[in-house]
Amino acid sequence: MSYLARRLIRAVLLLIGVSALCFLFTEMAPGTFFDEMRLNPQISPETISALRSHYGLDQPLLLRYGRWVKSALHADFGYSIAYNVPVAPLLWSRAKNTLLLTTTALLLTWLISVPLGVWAASRRGGLLDKAVTVGSSFLVSVPELVIAVGLLAGAVHWRILRVGGMISVDFESLSTRRKLQDILLHLALPALILVLCETTVIVRHVRASVLEVLDAPYVQAACGFGITPGRVLFRHVLPVAANTAISLLGFSLAGLLSGSMLVEAVCGWPGLGPLMLEATLSRDLYLVIGGIMFSSLFMLGGGLIADIMLLASDPRIRREGSDAQ
Amino acid sequence: MRSKTAILVAALAGLHLILLFAGFVAPCNPATQDRELPYAPPTRLHFKDAAGFHFRPFVYASTRVLNGDQAGSYQEDRTRAYPVRFLVRGSSYKLLGFHEAFVHLFGVVEPAKILILGTDGYGRDEFSRVLFGGQISVAAGITATFIALLAGGILGSVAGYYGRWIDESLMGVTELFLSLPWLYFLLGVRAFLPLHLSVLRTFFLLTGVIGLIGWARPARLVRGIVLSSRNRNFVLAARGFGGSDFYILRRHILPKALGVLITQAALLVPQYIAAEVTLSFFGLGVSEPVPSWGNMLSALEQYSILVSYGWLLAPAGALIITSVLYGYLADALHSG
Amino acid sequence: MKRIAGLTLLHVCLLAGACFAAKVVPEAAKPGEELARMADVSGRYGGHLTIGQRSEPKTLNPVMATDAVSREVIGRLMGDLIEINRSSQQTEPALAKSWKISSDGRTFTLQLRKGIRFSDGFPFDADDVVFSFGVYMDEAVDSPQRDLLIIDGKPITVTKVDQYTVRFVLPRPYAAAERLFDGLAVLPKHLLEKPYREGHFAQAWSLNVRTSEIAGLGPFRLKEYVPGQRIVVERNPFYWKVDNENQRLPYLDELVFLFVGTEDAQVMRFEAGETDIISRLSAENYNLLSREKARIALQLADMGPSLEYNFLLFNLNDLGGKKLDDVSKKQAWFRDLKFRQAISAAVDRESIVNLVYGARGTALWGNVGPGNKLWINQAIPHPSRSIERARELLRSAGYKWNSTGQLLDASGQPVEFSIITSSSNSQRMKMATLLQDDLAHLGMQVHIVPLEFRALIDRVFQSFDYDAAIMALGGGDADPNPEMNVWAYSGTSHLWHLGETHPATDWERELDQLMQQQMVTLDYARRKKLYDRAQQLIAENLPFIFLGTPNILAGANNRVGNFHPAVLDPYTLWNTDELYVRSAALENAGVR
Repeated sequence: MSYLARRLIRAVLLLIGVSALCFLFTEMAPGTFFDEMRLNPQISPETISALRSHYGLDQPLLLRYGRWVKSALHADFGYSIAYNVPVAPLLWSRAKNTLLLTTTALLLTWLISVPLGVWAASRRGGLLDKAVTVGSSFLVSVPELVIAVGLLAGAVHWRILRVGGMISVDFESLSTRRKLQDILLHLALPALILVLCETTVIVRHVRASVLEVLDAPYVQAACGFGITPGRVLFRHVLPVAANTAISLLGFSLAGLLSGSMLVEAVCGWPGLGPLMLEATLSRDLYLVIGGIMFSSLFMLGGGLIADIMLLASDPRIRREGSDAQ
Repeated sequence: MRSKTAILVAALAGLHLILLFAGFVAPCNPATQDRELPYAPPTRLHFKDAAGFHFRPFVYASTRVLNGDQAGSYQEDRTRAYPVRFLVRGSSYKLLGFHEAFVHLFGVVEPAKILILGTDGYGRDEFSRVLFGGQISVAAGITATFIALLAGGILGSVAGYYGRWIDESLMGVTELFLSLPWLYFLLGVRAFLPLHLSVLRTFFLLTGVIGLIGWARPARLVRGIVLSSRNRNFVLAARGFGGSDFYILRRHILPKALGVLITQAALLVPQYIAAEVTLSFFGLGVSEPVPSWGNMLSALEQYSILVSYGWLLAPAGALIITSVLYGYLADALHSG
Repeated sequence: MKRIAGLTLLHVCLLAGACFAAKVVPEAAKPGEELARMADVSGRYGGHLTIGQRSEPKTLNPVMATDAVSREVIGRLMGDLIEINRSSQQTEPALAKSWKISSDGRTFTLQLRKGIRFSDGFPFDADDVVFSFGVYMDEAVDSPQRDLLIIDGKPITVTKVDQYTVRFVLPRPYAAAERLFDGLAVLPKHLLEKPYREGHFAQAWSLNVRTSEIAGLGPFRLKEYVPGQRIVVERNPFYWKVDNENQRLPYLDELVFLFVGTEDAQVMRFEAGETDIISRLSAENYNLLSREKARIALQLADMGPSLEYNFLLFNLNDLGGKKLDDVSKKQAWFRDLKFRQAISAAVDRESIVNLVYGARGTALWGNVGPGNKLWINQAIPHPSRSIERARELLRSAGYKWNSTGQLLDASGQPVEFSIITSSSNSQRMKMATLLQDDLAHLGMQVHIVPLEFRALIDRVFQSFDYDAAIMALGGGDADPNPEMNVWAYSGTSHLWHLGETHPATDWERELDQLMQQQMVTLDYARRKKLYDRAQQLIAENLPFIFLGTPNILAGANNRVGNFHPAVLDPYTLWNTDELYVRSAALENAGVR
């Protein structure tokens, strides 16, 4: 229990640290939101400085940080300069779309990688194993951007799937069944890209960890005792190999909000990614900081869940934890 | 197993040698623009002509034909054939960075050009640029890996060995590093730098940044190993014999970690080369006209270019080949 | 008769069409309603068009909106007193059916159309105009458009003469003052007075506004907003323009603004048929689409050179007090006119047009290009590129070359400097790379430093820590007045030397006088002479080394009728009230 408490305290400290550093970093980056107006010869610098003080951008850093913390406690997380609305509801409306995409991709990835990795490892050296190794080595070397743009170009050229956005223009007029179909068609391409990129990594790790366990002496012994390969696999090998898998799952959960930025930008999926990118480039300060805090929250949450699952599943860690105390 | 590793090492060594001697292997200077030949497709090598089959391949000169509404297209000028010669004298370059030389592996007489991978938007030879670009990108990847592993190895060992609160604080710091908004940091860093950095300084900045962001994972790995070895019998025995912390770390624990670190190295190099590609998008890479795989690929950000001039994907191809080779090496080391 | 036929056609469409949403029907004309008749416009009712946007609009508030994307949407919802017809580039009566200018050019008396209603049916009159301008000029509101209404530091005054007459008094005569009114939307007093009085005007009309709380005099009104995806606007049944057959415009039932993202994503979705109109294409994308013309039914338009001008700028700012010794040393070169002339002679403008703009662009030697037919000074020389002439100029200015071909100044220092440019603008990056090579022919060592956009602005406007930059200006309006801040010595966009308290050189003094004079000269011929001389001074003294301008390239699906892109912003959206959807049968027959 105290382990959990310690983790929670650490998480809170981390969040505070991240928010402070964010403010510091944003101070360092040159330029403010209103700089674009300087290029417009018809707007005077007085108006620009008036706008800056209107939004409190010329106040000292500590004061702004204090006001932001107060706003955070009110669950507002500051004000977006561009949209003129509080940051938190804006972020949440986008985060829902991102989560839809990433959780779908996560489920598909794990549903594919785990059986594939285990199967390839159990038939080591076989045709499937070779195909999986070669395929994943190749795919892992291709940058995500190239995969994304390539698939997108293909989808446009062959007019398959729906490219861009989450719903069609006439969404409101469709029946419920067709609405679902519409969303799925739009979801297919970005999810496919994500699955392709992530499966390659996870399959390799699953296969490697299963292989490692398969080589252990106690497994050989079990086979020697005549236990069927299937039972050995499921009762003796997998629970141990699950350790790595759970850590990986933790990483996947942690990246639920932040891992799809590129794909969203390329496919036009209306998630957190494009919003954050634009906010960063246009210096919409509080939106950026809010977004980073949101992602950090997920990251910490994912790590925490993974650690809890590890604790629950691996008795060695439980014992070590209590030993150390 | 052994022979497989040997083949891979040889292949990688060959790749690195080609990159090292890029000036010799490449037929052109990577910065020379030819404004009459933008986006020229790769030159076709011919073996047969009216006179019959020749063992020595030859090329025709390319001319650009502009037709009104659309972009120009290229046609071969078949009036004269230019045979490909080997060990020809061409533009000057610095062999290994200091010795001026003129001999190139292959080439053709002007005005024809042998453009194995076509040209980019300024008419610069893509093949030459891929070779010279590889020098920067691969060197950056290797250097950054070295930095990350060194830093990660030291910090991870310290954390694992001394344990408890040093360990906790270090792990906290790594988590912090992983959560930070690097985009802003990078934008901020660029603003503080003097406007122009020499290629060497930019290179060190690049590798420094990648190494700085990347030390977290190796640190955790080494920490894990050190943690598990810490309480083993041989360590307790060594301590009982009076060995200092540093001695124990160096002599007994780290050799175990070394294997893991080497495998990590083979895994990280291609990742860090890919990181250089990403950083080039933010203007933190080497700037024109010096090529790197990163800044060459950034030209492909535009969909129209990607679709129309596919030969410009050559750096991605080179990146993939390099990554695959390193990946296989990592696998071989891991299981070997 | 024709109008009844039009309405019947509409009803037939409604019945025959498989649309589920209720379509808004144009209101029958009320007696006493003074509608504007567009004599050469005809089309048919029905259908919707989809337009892709580069990013999301941020607000629907016409007073607070600062970004171009929001203004694209707001412009369709709001009406102006006087409009600039983007095709002819001349002003036309809009909500003001006529106006009289006093002999001293300072008083504008506008007659408003009678009987016009807002999109929610509420009547429009002079009170709305006075209210709107009051909001624009209120300092507490901080509208960026306030500066448009301040001339010489003094605000324009607005008074109501009677229910349909408004008087504007300018502090001094201002040439082409009626052009100011385009873009200053008339706000509905009945909806916005309350938030204004309560002090939260800036929060009014955010994207989440209820459709009952927003109304305007534009061709469309807000129908729905889906966050992160699109904004749908529907026909304004009370719109005050009618076509040739006296049918109330707009023809379209709905207009959909889809948030698509980068230009590449836009092209892809346009190709896939998800958007109907695309504007500001790059030459590569234009060529890509024309290759696809056989497969997809498209109409593409190359409207000729735009009004934007791209240039190389040298840092001639006063650096006293700032610790920028590196830059100060180089300014000795930059301030030398022969140095700048040599650079201008060495620039390969033809390659810029061919390689950067894909032959769809024009080289520039001055700030006004051929796209601005009314104001271009045709007498300015266009010398072709000559490295020899450049070398001659440098030689006569005391520069020399060493044995390796490097250029040295009179004191033996090698000439080396850096050019900053925005990393997000690939065209200017390309220009920089070409320039680097060009100047290498002169023995100059030039470094290119791509900076993120805001970092660039920071250096050029604030810290002055740069040697040279490639930037672009212009493209707002064809009239010279919006350029005042660039050429007046105290102007805020006088980029090469910001913050001048008095003109730094004689020619800048003359330029300033010319610009101030043309601003108050009302006769076009006299203004043209003054502005011609100004252009000549600029081209001779090279505060900017002009490079080139792209053509305006736009495209639309063949379904779109009355597609008339223009060189002025907003290139394809300025006539959304006239756009219509062609019938499928006509489209298949290939009829344009």
